[in-house]
Amino acid sequence: MNRKWMFLFLMLTGLALTSGCWSKKELTDIAFVSALGIDKNEEGKYVGTIQLINPGNVAGGLQGGGGEAPSITTYSSTGDNIVEMSRRASTKISRRLYYSHTNLLVINEELAKEEGIINILDAFDRDPEFRTTATIIIAHDSKAADIVNTLTGVDKIPANKVIKTLKITEQRWGEHMEVSIQEGIKNLISPGKEPVITGFRMTGNTEQGKKLENIQQSAVEENIQADGLAVFKDGKLVDWFQGETARGVTWILDKIKVTDINISWEGEQEAVAYEVLRQKTKVSANMKNGQPKISIHVDAEGDIGEVMVPVDLTDPSVLLNIEKTVEKKIQKEINDAIQRAQKNQTDIFGFGEAVHRSDPKAWKKLKQDWNNVHFPQLKADVTVEAFVRRTGLRNKPYFFRMESNQ
Amino acid sequence: MPSFFKQRKKKTNSEDHKESGRDQPNNRSLEFIHDSISINLDMIKQKTGNSSDIVIRTLNISLHSEIKTAVVYVEGIVDSISINDFLIESMMKNHALQEKLTRENALEVISNNIVALGSIKLVSNWEQLLLSLMAGETLILVDGTNEALSVGTQGGETRSIEEPSTQVAVRGSRSGFTESIRTNTALVRRIIKNPDLWLESMKIGKATQTDVVIMYINGIANEKIVEEVRQRLKRINIDGILESGYIEQLIEDQTMTTFPTLYHTERPDMVAGNLLEGRIAIFVDGTPFVLIAPTIFIQFFQAAEDYYARFDIATALRLLRVIIFFISIIGPSAYIAATTFHQEMLPTQLLIAISAQREAVPFPAFVEAMIMEVTFEILREAGIRMPRAIGAAVSIVGALVIGQAAVQAGIVSPAMVIVVAITAIASFATPSFAIAISARLIRFLFMITAATFGFYGIILAFIMLTVHLCDLRSFGVPYMSPFAPFSPKNAGDTVVRLPWWALKQRPPFISNENNIRQGKDQKPHPPTNRGMVNSHTRKSDQNES
Repeated sequence: MNRKWMFLFLMLTGLALTSGCWSKKELTDIAFVSALGIDKNEEGKYVGTIQLINPGNVAGGLQGGGGEAPSITTYSSTGDNIVEMSRRASTKISRRLYYSHTNLLVINEELAKEEGIINILDAFDRDPEFRTTATIIIAHDSKAADIVNTLTGVDKIPANKVIKTLKITEQRWGEHMEVSIQEGIKNLISPGKEPVITGFRMTGNTEQGKKLENIQQSAVEENIQADGLAVFKDGKLVDWFQGETARGVTWILDKIKVTDINISWEGEQEAVAYEVLRQKTKVSANMKNGQPKISIHVDAEGDIGEVMVPVDLTDPSVLLNIEKTVEKKIQKEINDAIQRAQKNQTDIFGFGEAVHRSDPKAWKKLKQDWNNVHFPQLKADVTVEAFVRRTGLRNKPYFFRMESNQ
Repeated sequence: MPSFFKQRKKKTNSEDHKESGRDQPNNRSLEFIHDSISINLDMIKQKTGNSSDIVIRTLNISLHSEIKTAVVYVEGIVDSISINDFLIESMMKNHALQEKLTRENALEVISNNIVALGSIKLVSNWEQLLLSLMAGETLILVDGTNEALSVGTQGGETRSIEEPSTQVAVRGSRSGFTESIRTNTALVRRIIKNPDLWLESMKIGKATQTDVVIMYINGIANEKIVEEVRQRLKRINIDGILESGYIEQLIEDQTMTTFPTLYHTERPDMVAGNLLEGRIAIFVDGTPFVLIAPTIFIQFFQAAEDYYARFDIATALRLLRVIIFFISIIGPSAYIAATTFHQEMLPTQLLIAISAQREAVPFPAFVEAMIMEVTFEILREAGIRMPRAIGAAVSIVGALVIGQAAVQAGIVSPAMVIVVAITAIASFATPSFAIAISARLIRFLFMITAATFGFYGIILAFIMLTVHLCDLRSFGVPYMSPFAPFSPKNAGDTVVRLPWWALKQRPPFISNENNIRQGKDQKPHPPTNRGMVNSHTRKSDQNES
């Protein structure tokens, strides 16, 4: 009995010790990948640009960080697929690549146009380390490598800068949307909805962006900025939506939080700024005579942010008039977006899903040729209800009296 | 392995027996006291080795020169004022009894008419005589009788009642136990003025003959548990009991555990509260720490003040203490697991910050944590037993070892310093030192499992710890009750503390069937109109004016 217990005890101790510390990774042995850019070279191989964080140069404070050395280091590596590319990178990097904190995936525009994004995303969906909550963007008019290589000010990690820019612009302006890999995949496989992914472009000299001097000056020469929405069809990039058309998309997708709508007043162009503070978009579908019909209703509420013409905002009829003009403007943005998408024959708004929800039986028949036949012919009924909640701190603008005195 | 220990135990027991045979006058115990006083006095001198603190005073009672009398006591442990005033003086100067007194009835007359002290008894054999002498009683020997009188004159210098130093309360009684067992039992007796508060005393320790008192409330305490305590105490056969810790280790249910299965306290109000719950207190002479049995795990998170403060505050504080206990166990191990296995669990910014700090540190996180924890334990140990004059030096050096200097030397990272500091504060904030010290030990075990298996290891260790805790018993009462076995009815005074009017029952498994502790409908009911109680008089005042 005694021997048995001793033996068991030794076995257990041995088990604990001989197992070693498998899957143990010391912080000093891993390299945090913050962003990954994917391009394709002439030979048809994938070129991955890996953005690694230099923790000592980011943390600041303790080591007096920043300043002397860049906060990131990038390496590029090639391979026939994403995993090979990532493994091959170990020939250049002294640490184990660690993808759990990768928040940004940049995809080359040409790659998205020619080959599509469907087969690329599998690697990220499958890998246990890589998070599918990472944001995906398309490099607009530039290589993915350039966006990953560029140093940025304020937010020292460029990946963070991109994500935060996207988040803030989605909240404050509404022409772009943050799309995660997860959402992208979900929309790719859904027959009633196609993905839209925000594009980012470089401004200025690409070479300059890699140097530390780029962020050592007040006017950053080389910057990354959100630019347009990439519209996909069957996993391939087909069109870019810009400006107000892009905002039409975010209106329909109910992603607008705060934005600004300018309207003309008494002949003056863009004279009144209407700030949308909250809105709610409802998309519903119903079948009529075997044909699907979509109705979109937008409830917007906002303030008058600026008036550049003397207008008496104490007059309720003026406000009603402004509301009507705003409604028309929003309606136009939405209709423009729908028309353009219909021209591209890709249902990025999820109208198909709405039809599916309202009439599953009819959807079974429509599903097959939805994008090519039914969606382009779809009738959408857009109604907007705008409401002026406040006019800011002033009613009449200060120059209203100046003019009436004259 | 257990049988290995058993063998050793047997061996030590037999050794004890041999030693005790040499030390103790057990074999001669049945010898009766001799007729002749001079032989008796010589015997006392011989048996005590002619010790200098034994005072032998020969005198004449009431001018009777022919009746030789002696008073014997041990100086220092007796109340010398009462011996002088009520024993020696009254024996010498009581002339009125001169005629009545004969050699034969001398002891009777002395005890009935002369000695003006409360406790007095007749002893006839040497064992009793010497025991009572050593316990601080005064012996009166009369020539020609084979008996002696033993007068209770225990006294001497003892520490006065002070505030308890280990269990301080902001609100509540300020008195703490002292080293004198009589004072201690009296402190509880003063709180529970009830004839059902029963005391049973015994002497444990063959050499020390330490007074041990079992205290319980008859009618509330479970008779079976009282009997069990009695039996376990009687089983003890050891040369000395110097502190209640000896008793604790000799009567506890499970020895292979770091968790205390007996509670010890310095506070009389705490003892009283536990007695009212049906528990049993064990007082040991010479220590202010009173043992309480049976003990459950959650008791170590309950401070006396919880019962005096209002229930919401008490509940919040108890929840905090449970969190504190968890922090003190898994603090460093969570750091190790998160930084070496599960980097994905930390927010990116935090991970970058920790990573930047770790860049310059040469050791793996586990070694780093071990260095800091051991350093801290060294510092704490140094702080406890340091002469007070050098105390300041320890804190200065300590701040160097665990602080900026260690960080600048590149040995540890600042994050580790913070983790160790939080853990240290957490282990100090646990209300019971006994449980805090076991958490200290277990912490190292957790650190090893965390370094081997990450959070998986921590969870594994936690499950094992829980199984172990559920396996423990204290005098037959499950250690984790009322959680395991779960009895929701009695969980009102555990991690939460319900208001007093809702605590109708005593804790389960501890008291006997009499476990209803209050009458019905004890919830306070203020007047329904929400007016002031004296609003009526106010109105009449106004009317008058």
